[in-house]
Amino acid sequence: MTAVASGATVRPAKRGWSFLAPTILPGFGTAFGFTLAYLCLIVLIPLGHMALRAADVGWDRFWAITLAPRVLHAFYVSFGCALAAALINAVFGLVVAWVLVRYRFPGRRLIDAMVDLPFALPTSVAGIALTAIYAPNGWIGALAKAAGFKIAFTPIGIVIALVFVGLPFIVRTVEPVLQDLDAEVEEAAASLGATRWQTFIKVLLPAILPALITGVALAFARGVGEYGSVIFIAGNIPAVSEIVPLLIVARLEQYDYAGATVIATAMMGVSFLMLLGINFLQRWTRSRHAR
Amino acid sequence: MAIEIRNVEKTFGAFTALGGVSLDVRSGELLALLGPSGSGKTTLLRIIAGLDHADAGEVSFDGQDTRDRAARDRKVGFVFQHYALFRHMTVFDNVAFGLRVKKKAERPAEMDIRRRVGQLLEMVQLSHLASRYPSQLSGGQRQRVALARALAIEPKVLLLDEPFGALDAKVRKDLRKWLRHLHDDMHITSIFVTHDQEEALELADRVVVMNHGQIIQVGTPAEVYDTPADSFVFDFLGGVNRLNGVIEGGVARLDGKAVRVDGEVGPNGPAVIYVRPHQVELDVAPGDGVPEGKWSARVSSLHAAGPVARLELDLAGRALEAQLSRDRLSDLALDVGSWCTVDFRHARVFPAKN
Repeated sequence: MTAVASGATVRPAKRGWSFLAPTILPGFGTAFGFTLAYLCLIVLIPLGHMALRAADVGWDRFWAITLAPRVLHAFYVSFGCALAAALINAVFGLVVAWVLVRYRFPGRRLIDAMVDLPFALPTSVAGIALTAIYAPNGWIGALAKAAGFKIAFTPIGIVIALVFVGLPFIVRTVEPVLQDLDAEVEEAAASLGATRWQTFIKVLLPAILPALITGVALAFARGVGEYGSVIFIAGNIPAVSEIVPLLIVARLEQYDYAGATVIATAMMGVSFLMLLGINFLQRWTRSRHAR
Repeated sequence: MAIEIRNVEKTFGAFTALGGVSLDVRSGELLALLGPSGSGKTTLLRIIAGLDHADAGEVSFDGQDTRDRAARDRKVGFVFQHYALFRHMTVFDNVAFGLRVKKKAERPAEMDIRRRVGQLLEMVQLSHLASRYPSQLSGGQRQRVALARALAIEPKVLLLDEPFGALDAKVRKDLRKWLRHLHDDMHITSIFVTHDQEEALELADRVVVMNHGQIIQVGTPAEVYDTPADSFVFDFLGGVNRLNGVIEGGVARLDGKAVRVDGEVGPNGPAVIYVRPHQVELDVAPGDGVPEGKWSARVSSLHAAGPVARLELDLAGRALEAQLSRDRLSDLALDVGSWCTVDFRHARVFPAKN
């Protein structure tokens, strides 16, 4: 009897580890296969191949090339300027997004369209345009010269170019979040006695922050990889305003393929680490936001 | 704190939200602004809070004009219809917000803030949820957090915009009772907006009925219910029979028979007779015709769940709703299809529109 009874009890379905969480959506196998194939073909294999080529030169030469003063400085310029530009954009991009979302004024659509220009414009066009203005004989460059400093052909010029190309990333990521913010929340803060500034810092900014960090990450990543707009305005003076991508191209032009690959691999490594760090920061702010 | 509202006007484009509204709110009372949507009740509430500005007229608190006082200087607790809680803050931080944004000189020490918030959370029975985020709470709990947050600044006036609008019926009833007790304990001048006449009549000390940006009637729930100022109020307070009749020489008539009505009778012409279902008097139909001054009707349907029975009657082609106790119903032994005589204990008559 007991044997029959125990045999009749319904066993819970096996709940071990499974690669795919239960879902009703079909086609996982195909879609996942395609995703992997594409990623491999377009991202993983080329980058992996590059890393392999770089490994060919051996550790000692790898570090020697990477840690050469000129290369180190180029890294410093590339990442420093991209970070500076992303942070400047974080402030001004937020202001632009705020103005576009919160106010209705004539010409709003025009400004809205202008924000996207850096997306569409070939970056070399941006480079030429910016250089023309900021070079010592350009409008703004002349003013700076009179004040005793240079903009074009210095890291300041690079930052300006990167601010230009990074702006839409911040504006377009923050805009929808600002739009979704409930005006009642601000009114609630006001009725509780908060000043406009307190409302912004304590109520609005925490709500926008995850989107803002995403925007900064995108702008930063774009800035690190930017080439076209920078090479014109940077002047490419070694150890002053030379960026890593330019250094790589220079090595290639000298047929120093090994050197180019090593620098490229190092750049990839650093970029990956920074993006990973930003991702963790994002996770952290989102979990605090606790939607 | 007493609030005087004088000739307040507000338009949004071509839409007149408030067309010259005057109202005195007594200190410590619980007042309901009752009206259909678009009647201007929420706009009036927002103007009192300083969240909107009147185009004309004035609002004063204890005799002091508030025109130049921004919302944050008014010491008004405002509870929003959709709570407007700060999503990225815990329940505790939400309630503490009003205390933490005070100027340094007025801000209580962190210890005092903790104690005060603790008391408030206890009062709204949410102490155990202090570290939760708003998204982890139910609607009724969020509403109570919003209330505790508004009360934290020790407001002189508490304003509630459709406070129970987004809650389900059971929670709504409980919260209503609870809010009434809270008001009885604290005696803060409170105004709440609602489109639910039952809520207004049950909860408020006085009810302000609004329509099309005007105040139609102000009075205690009993006054408003028993002596509605006009047909709109009668209609809006709900549960009413409208019977088409006529006024002839100062007498309201239904099918030629005179109806005893309260209040004044309008000029001759078509009229609508208003009778609440519980004012309809039913009796057993005698064998020989209809008694003098009464009407005859047939029961077309009958709902007898709960202590009160509801009957749908057919009075010469008109639908008439009546309410009576279950005991009375069984005395009369009425059933679907049976005939009875009808009389009206109280009725009002208003000239038919157009």
